[in-house]
Amino acid sequence: MDMASAAAPPRFEPDERWVPADERWFGLDRRTIRPTLVVFALAIVMSVVLPITDATVPYHDNVKAGDVLELEGDVTFVPEAGWGITSGLRAGHAPLSGEYPATATIEDGAIKFTVHTGQFHGDAHQLLDQIETTSEALNSGRGVRVTGAPTTIVTDQGKQGATVRISGPHTVGLIAAFVFGTRGVEAVATGPSDAGSVPAATVLEMIRSISKPGEGKQ
Amino acid sequence: MTVTPATTLADLDRARDTALDLSGWGRRFSFYQPRNVAFWAYLLLVGIGFLVFVSTLALKFDAYGQAIGLAVTSFGIYAALFWWFAQHIDHYAKLPAKLMVVAFVWGGFAATGAMAANANDAILALYSKTFGQVWALNWGAGLAAPFTEEWAKGSGLLLLIAMAPRQVRTAFDGFILGAFIGLGFQIIEDITYALTSAGTQFGANQIGASIGTIVLRMVSGVAAHILYSAIFCAGLVYLLGRPAEPRKVGRGLLLVAIPMLLHGTWDSVGAIAGPSALKLIGLLIAVIVIALAIFVQVYKATVKRERDFVRDVMAPEQARNVITPVELDAMAGNRKARKAYRKAGRKAGGKRRERKRARYVLNAAYALADELAAARGAETDRVRFARSEVARIRAGVPSQW
Repeated sequence: MDMASAAAPPRFEPDERWVPADERWFGLDRRTIRPTLVVFALAIVMSVVLPITDATVPYHDNVKAGDVLELEGDVTFVPEAGWGITSGLRAGHAPLSGEYPATATIEDGAIKFTVHTGQFHGDAHQLLDQIETTSEALNSGRGVRVTGAPTTIVTDQGKQGATVRISGPHTVGLIAAFVFGTRGVEAVATGPSDAGSVPAATVLEMIRSISKPGEGKQ
Repeated sequence: MTVTPATTLADLDRARDTALDLSGWGRRFSFYQPRNVAFWAYLLLVGIGFLVFVSTLALKFDAYGQAIGLAVTSFGIYAALFWWFAQHIDHYAKLPAKLMVVAFVWGGFAATGAMAANANDAILALYSKTFGQVWALNWGAGLAAPFTEEWAKGSGLLLLIAMAPRQVRTAFDGFILGAFIGLGFQIIEDITYALTSAGTQFGANQIGASIGTIVLRMVSGVAAHILYSAIFCAGLVYLLGRPAEPRKVGRGLLLVAIPMLLHGTWDSVGAIAGPSALKLIGLLIAVIVIALAIFVQVYKATVKRERDFVRDVMAPEQARNVITPVELDAMAGNRKARKAYRKAGRKAGGKRRERKRARYVLNAAYALADELAAARGAETDRVRFARSEVARIRAGVPSQW
């Protein structure tokens, strides 16, 4: 075996940015165009085509008389018949996991009504304060603001909660808060300010329908 | 390459040159490539994703600052651990560290905010509209994320190959870069999940609300995006073929499909298990175990070529008696081979100091291999010095540096 030490000079390799003359296209490396186009096509499908497709597909799941929407923690409310359900499930139609989602939203034109539940330790007024604090922090004081003092609201089940009016540059509405044991419930109704106030009677009726089994008058 | 008596040193040197050429081992990687279209696409998509992520954090910082602090710190440490692990398994024909950073950043920002997040929202909404909300809650995530997220992450490898064609040469390179893309994706997704959890209790008790999510994501993350992307990207390299990895379409399709299937199953375990917590835990464990087993098999299948490169690069050193045949076997072998090498020293009655020295010799030999790769097999001062270090440690002479 030849035991002579290797003394080969370093083999020349062109600079990493060098592009062969026959692979240039307007100064660019032609070989990199095809994979880039593939990735761009994928990005456009994901970020443009799919969202536009979604926006153009109409969605109709209107509330029928007698429908009840259920949320996480056995919280339910009765939506107004004719409104469209944009998220949330009807009671008795739980997903296979058995867990209902924490939020349900229904809409009637530009008016939106959302109910959200979560763990909360405190009373309804404290929950309302917490919602206000979080909302102000999220909007940096520029979005919807509380206008006026909180008032008391009582559900059909007899549960006492707190409600307050809100308004923003183009929005008016109200927030209601209830606490069932350690389960907080927030209901938010908003609508455009130029259309007058949100239909108070309908919204209040939906808020009063919020209930949780086993929770009586408090 | 096997050393036979008929093999001359010149043959071994030629084999070394071929291995270095094919593997791309030791080649430098320049990120800034203004004539490379892929570079501009990378910058644009990462930039969009970065802006989306930072603006989300900035918008929510006042409300969920505590949870953001906890999530960023926890997942930062978690990422460092996985970073170490992913680098640790790439100890044969190593990729440049800069390339791993580029892969991580793609997974963290471009694949999430600029691609998959938009697609996921749209597909889930379309599923709800088409099949109803209950169906979408049951199967929507499992039939959206495997397509959007795996391809968003995997497409990064296409750009990386276009940006580093001289370095990304084998399925194992795809495996390692895929792991880093997955790590970036996992970390940013985990922070986003923790942020969502912080708001579940109306912004109160943020730490308590998000800590469960953070722990769960850390535990389940062991067999999630890092693993899926590593397998997927190895498959992508087989599908495309590279100079050191002949195209194998069947194997490529299989490795692309497996992580999508695993991902889909993982996202649907709640629906598959139903309300039974016991079934759910059992299924989760089963999916993790199966995923890890497949990951190990793909690692074993892809790493073989890298080990052959190490053998080809170091065989001339063994022929020149710089390292011994046993050391060459340990260097180009698997973990078991290195363990056997260490055990051999113990069985031979080697003293503790000698066993330690044998380990240091092996480390110095790996350093020599890296220097040889960086020098493209040529004799340079750095190579000569690295070689002298092997001899110095073997002789037990203390370093003068």
